Amino acid sequence: MSRSRTEIDSSEIIGLIDNVLNTVAETLEDGVFPEIGYYGASKKNVFYQEDAGYVSIDETPSFIDGRKVESAKTVASFVYGLSRFKEHLEQNMSMSLRDFYYMHKVKHVQDVLKIIDQNETNRLINLCERVIRHNGASVPREELGVVSSPKGTFYGDITISDMSKKRLNCTSAGEYGWFISSRPFDVKIHDINIDAAIFIEKEAMARNLIELEIPEDLRIGVGALFGQPGRNMRAWIRRLADEEIPILILVDMSPWSLRIFSTIKSNSIELANIRGLATPEAKLLGITTDDFWGKRGMLTEIEHSLESMTKSDLKCAQQNKNIPAISQDQLLSRQNEIMLKKKRKGELEAFKSFGLPLAELKGFYIKYLKTKSSDLDVKVI
Amino acid sequence: MFTSNVHTQDIVELSVSAWFYRNKTIAGFDNPARSLYVAVRELVENSLDACEEIRILPEITVLLRNEEESSRVDLLNQGPENFELVVKDNGIGMKRDSIPLLLGKMLTGTKFSHRQSRGTFGLGGSLALLYGQVTTQKPIEIVTGQKGQPHGYSVKMRLDIENNRPVILEEDRVSKGADEHGTMITFSLQGDWLRSKRRIIDYFNQTGIIVPYASLFFETPDNEVYKYDRIIHSIPRPSVATKPHPRGIDVEMLKSMISTTRARSLKSFLTTSFQRVGDKKASEFLVFARLDPERVPDSLSMDELVRMMNSMEKFERFLPPSPNSLSPVGTEVLLAGIKRLSPEFVVFRQRPPNVYEGHPFIVETGVAYGGDLSAGAHIIRFANRIPLLYDERSDISHRVVRDLNLKNYGLRQEDPLTFIMHICSTKIPYKTVGKEYIADVDSVRREIELGFKECLRDLSERLRKRTKTQKYQKRESRLASYYRFIAEILKTATGREVQLERFHFEGGDNQ
Ligand SMILES: Nc1ncnc2c1ncn2[C@@H]1O[C@H](COP(=O)(O)OP(=O)(O)OP(=O)(O)O)[C@@H](O)[C@H]1O
Ligand SMILES: [Mg+2]
Repeated sequence: MSRSRTEIDSSEIIGLIDNVLNTVAETLEDGVFPEIGYYGASKKNVFYQEDAGYVSIDETPSFIDGRKVESAKTVASFVYGLSRFKEHLEQNMSMSLRDFYYMHKVKHVQDVLKIIDQNETNRLINLCERVIRHNGASVPREELGVVSSPKGTFYGDITISDMSKKRLNCTSAGEYGWFISSRPFDVKIHDINIDAAIFIEKEAMARNLIELEIPEDLRIGVGALFGQPGRNMRAWIRRLADEEIPILILVDMSPWSLRIFSTIKSNSIELANIRGLATPEAKLLGITTDDFWGKRGMLTEIEHSLESMTKSDLKCAQQNKNIPAISQDQLLSRQNEIMLKKKRKGELEAFKSFGLPLAELKGFYIKYLKTKSSDLDVKVI
Repeated sequence: MFTSNVHTQDIVELSVSAWFYRNKTIAGFDNPARSLYVAVRELVENSLDACEEIRILPEITVLLRNEEESSRVDLLNQGPENFELVVKDNGIGMKRDSIPLLLGKMLTGTKFSHRQSRGTFGLGGSLALLYGQVTTQKPIEIVTGQKGQPHGYSVKMRLDIENNRPVILEEDRVSKGADEHGTMITFSLQGDWLRSKRRIIDYFNQTGIIVPYASLFFETPDNEVYKYDRIIHSIPRPSVATKPHPRGIDVEMLKSMISTTRARSLKSFLTTSFQRVGDKKASEFLVFARLDPERVPDSLSMDELVRMMNSMEKFERFLPPSPNSLSPVGTEVLLAGIKRLSPEFVVFRQRPPNVYEGHPFIVETGVAYGGDLSAGAHIIRFANRIPLLYDERSDISHRVVRDLNLKNYGLRQEDPLTFIMHICSTKIPYKTVGKEYIADVDSVRREIELGFKECLRDLSERLRKRTKTQKYQKRESRLASYYRFIAEILKTATGREVQLERFHFEGGDNQ
């Protein structure tokens, strides 16, 4: 079953926007203050499920009451925002979050709305996503033509066509592979020749693996997350999971990296309304506390390379206890506890502290990846 | 050792007028600037009294002219100059025979009774005329007429200081209508206009506030005209003459009362000469003072007189003095008067009558806010409807205002605030003979304080309401601007003309 969103035609979106605008117009003509209802990202509307991540249930609606001054401002921004989306969709143009912010600097708009902070317009887009719904789900901003700067690369033997309409193979799309589309749901996948995909927090290590030709040797795909993955990357991972490709995640051993993994796996409370961003099938490949401290740990030899956790690392780990997708996940909460106890953290660069000759390093990487994958029931050659 | 000087020194008896002239500073005639101001004030007060006595809306004209044709080159170096002062009113007027006595003799007047009026001593106007004559050597002219009389009189006179006696130089009958009445006094005096100008104009400004039922006209030596048209047509309730209250009597007064009483016993003396003393109170008091009720008042020794006075002060069971002898301005008139300052808000309070040392008094307080008022807290003070312009910092109301915590009322020190205080009493508790500021008397201070606090509470309530409506209006206009904007956007986005006619922005909620 596909967990990705199904594609929506932009004319359909324009129709949805027109609907909302006309409803507002009619309300005003009736002399009634408009009221906009939506489901917010509150605890009442979002719950966590281990096999699905954060799930939004439309339980308690919130209302923007146009009788109130601040809310009227929101309604005004909302109507203005929709009018911008509509125009862009009609012209087949995309806009960035920053573009959208600058559209509020149009003189006659600024005079009325007086917006001085991009956070305000970002929140507005979030609101639009929640209000404009299609088949009972939020319409993501990408469908409204708002595209956040895409982030992340993917290297591996998969043939696709992206927005450029060109057919390309992700092993020959540049030195890190393919720069992941801002709209992965609209990407067509033609052909898949990998047995698993590994997504790595740090691009340096991903590059090393590509340079060592490990993707070819193991028939795997290698993605670089560039830190906390963007929406596009998460949607791409979801796409691959829909194609039944095992997803393995390789991140630092730190409380922050647990969050990275958990966002990939479970999405986030804030974006629970956006479908297709969670990949519950994703597995944490490494590097884990067991690698360093476990009986059969593969990195015990370089335990000395671990660094002390800083104050903010410890605080992060403490707060992780309140994040359902971490605290209610056995594996992640255990990792978090051990880190809190040991107060040490490890980074992917630790592999370099073996001091191995490059040929042997490649061997170790392969051994690590294979062993850890098979521990997770993922078979690579 | 005695020096020969001692022996040759003459013993001189000063006449009353000579004494007052030598001591004129106590009445305010201490320098040419202040003298000019005090002279104007004394004559205007007399005119206002003369009108209010017959409950006539005052029409007062004051002309002040420079008598010298000075080349006005060096303004600042100008010393005292001679001025002609004319003050004309439509008051009660004077009888022919009273003129020289009332105005040409010190300590003669018609206002000695126990009732509130501006004048009290029979001195102010007379001393102004005397001062004018001494400094300019010119005679005084009075034209006056009374209602019902076929004609009025014109009198030119000179004051004989040594003998406290007027000398008539010329006199004439003047023709007038039977209903006409009023007085015009013309005389010359030395003064310093440049240095008194501000004060005199302030005096008129403030008189215009406290006597808004008068029409005032003032022409300055600079030929400028200050005109205050009447803004209300009612005169405050007049005061009624009352007998003195036993509290606040001194031995001299007691002596003089005894000398004029027809009562043959102390008890009847008490009940007939004092206010609010009945048979029972009189008996109680005489027991308290250990005096025989049947004693002939005349027969009291000096010691007994002193004992009686002291007992009067200590006896706590006298009824408080009657406020009938008082004539407060009333909030209606005060509200009318303060309009001359064009404040945004004003609140007045009349406190209930109270007593100090046996004298009844009523305090009226007001607080004006915003509008044309300048920033910061200002005080304007009145006593028996006379503006008090000097020595503000020594005045009790200044201290009260200083100690108010404006923050408690949502106000700031720099807010445009004017405090108005009027005290009326049969005896104003002036601190000095200069009649310029009110002494710190406990009961008076308390009344002023309570009055201002009540006003401030009321004012802060109104300000809060105003801020609320302002917020409300601001909110309405913001709402309207958002919805106009929405309509505009909807038009471009959907091509639909959205009519906001049926939309009422007042309908929304406050946040
Ligand atoms: N404009 C006037 N019209 C009628 N009577 C006047 C006028 N001016 C003065 N008088 C009479 O002359 C009297 C003396 O006036 P004067 O100013 O000397 O004393 P006063 O007003 O009685 O007391 P004070 O010394 O407090 O002013 C007054 O009591 C009043 O009877
Ligand atoms: Mg007088």
